[in-house]
Amino acid sequence: MIEMHNVTVHYQKDAPALSGITFKIPKGDFVFLTGPSGAGKSTLLKLVYGAVRPAIGHVVVDGQNVTRMTRRQLPFLRRNIGVVFQDFKLLPSRSVYDNVAITLEVLGWEKRDIGKKVYHVLKQLGIEHKIDASPQRLSGGEQQRVALARALVNEPRILLADEPTGNLDDNNKDQILRIFKEANIRGTTVVIASHDKRVVHYSHHRIIHLEKGRIKESQDVAFPA
Amino acid sequence: MSRSRHSVRPHASTIGPWNRFCYFTGKAWANLRSNRLVTVLTVFTIMLALLIISVFMLLYVNLEGTVEQWSSKVVITAYFDNELSNQDLATLKARVNSLPGTDSLRYIDKEEALKRFRSRLKGQEALLEGVSADVLPASLEISLKKQYRSPDAVTGFVAGLKRIQGIGEVQYGEEWVRKFLTFFHFLRLLAFLIGGFLIMAVLFIVSNTIKLTIMARREELEIQGLVGATPFFIKAPFLIEGMLQGAVGAFLAVIVLVAGYQLFLSNAINFLSFDPAEAGLTFLPTAYIAALLIGGTLLGFVGSLASLKKFIIT
Repeated sequence: MIEMHNVTVHYQKDAPALSGITFKIPKGDFVFLTGPSGAGKSTLLKLVYGAVRPAIGHVVVDGQNVTRMTRRQLPFLRRNIGVVFQDFKLLPSRSVYDNVAITLEVLGWEKRDIGKKVYHVLKQLGIEHKIDASPQRLSGGEQQRVALARALVNEPRILLADEPTGNLDDNNKDQILRIFKEANIRGTTVVIASHDKRVVHYSHHRIIHLEKGRIKESQDVAFPA
Repeated sequence: MSRSRHSVRPHASTIGPWNRFCYFTGKAWANLRSNRLVTVLTVFTIMLALLIISVFMLLYVNLEGTVEQWSSKVVITAYFDNELSNQDLATLKARVNSLPGTDSLRYIDKEEALKRFRSRLKGQEALLEGVSADVLPASLEISLKKQYRSPDAVTGFVAGLKRIQGIGEVQYGEEWVRKFLTFFHFLRLLAFLIGGFLIMAVLFIVSNTIKLTIMARREELEIQGLVGATPFFIKAPFLIEGMLQGAVGAFLAVIVLVAGYQLFLSNAINFLSFDPAEAGLTFLPTAYIAALLIGGTLLGFVGSLASLKKFIIT
């Protein structure tokens, strides 16, 4: 589903953010991307949805070479990728409904279908009663769920999350991770970037560990769920 | 959360081109409403600029009409060296007629010339006592075709005329025509320069208004891009917004121009010494009004496009 071949990314000269990255994530896999801050986890996720282009190497997502994609082709790739951003990227002046509906509006859905689907997803995540609220009035855990709802509402083939449990308490972390797990069970390929050891050891999942822009190790770990 | 039970995606119908256009227009309208002050200021500025342009157009149209009217009165008079026999006159007429630019000819014989001279000296006929028609030369009065009435063309025509054997002196209001047409061309150039400057100003204003709106909604546009919006999807509401501003500005400019023109017509007789309606003053033709409305809309579109080009959303 996601392949990287000898990928190098430069933000500054002589200091690559990523260097010689090569790996494959099969369809339906659940992968944790670990490593300290500045290791290149966010950059690696950005490569998948085409927000960053590699200086060297190739990124292949769902059989398409992202490296060679034009600006016109990129949106169609992104429609199959749900992204949960570290800072949530919610619109403070819009309601929870509007924040989630934006994904379906872009796809050109009918208004009535958007209403049904948004309510349905918010209900699954247990925040349907906040549908008209402003994100600013929500707790950190609730904001995270809205961001997740926006990423999941069009049932993407790939779900990427950048530190999705960053500021959450243990109870909220478990609930958020359970939602990722459910999406994965439904066939979505999930990649979570996190430095939180408790999250990484949530269950038996593959780990790609980055340090200073290089893959240190890639392994399957077995921990009780 | 079973996909088969709850998934709306496989059954969701996507909206058609008309509904999509309505969606973009709705977005543009909502945006115009949410930035009311900026919108009103932009529309007012566009209206003012287009109003100045349209006043120049009105002046130009009326001046062009006057020039057209006056230049049709330009007649070249060619005097004969000697008295001509009927056969020679016919030959000479045929040669003048064959000159490119000749529209019509009128032969003025000596008697006719004296009659005209007398009528010009009305009240002082005594001066012409004892003067016979023989002292005045016969002549040909030549009217020119429309495209041969410019000063250069007239000069060229006269040069050709003088080369014809039998033609002596040639008279035409050379200096007057030249001065008037130079003034007219200067006015036209001035109108183009001011018009061009105002068009640039409108483009600048619209482009900066849209830029402000883009800055204010940058976050939303970024998210749209990240969830898979095409560049067209992101740009379309802004382009419609610019077009709406341009169209409303142009429409208001036409309304104000009509009102101003009517006010001028009904009051001009009080402070001018002539009745504008009798002087043949006309309003802008429909084609010009249509051009103003379409031009305003296009200006809004191009202004938006210019600002969007600078904001590449990835």
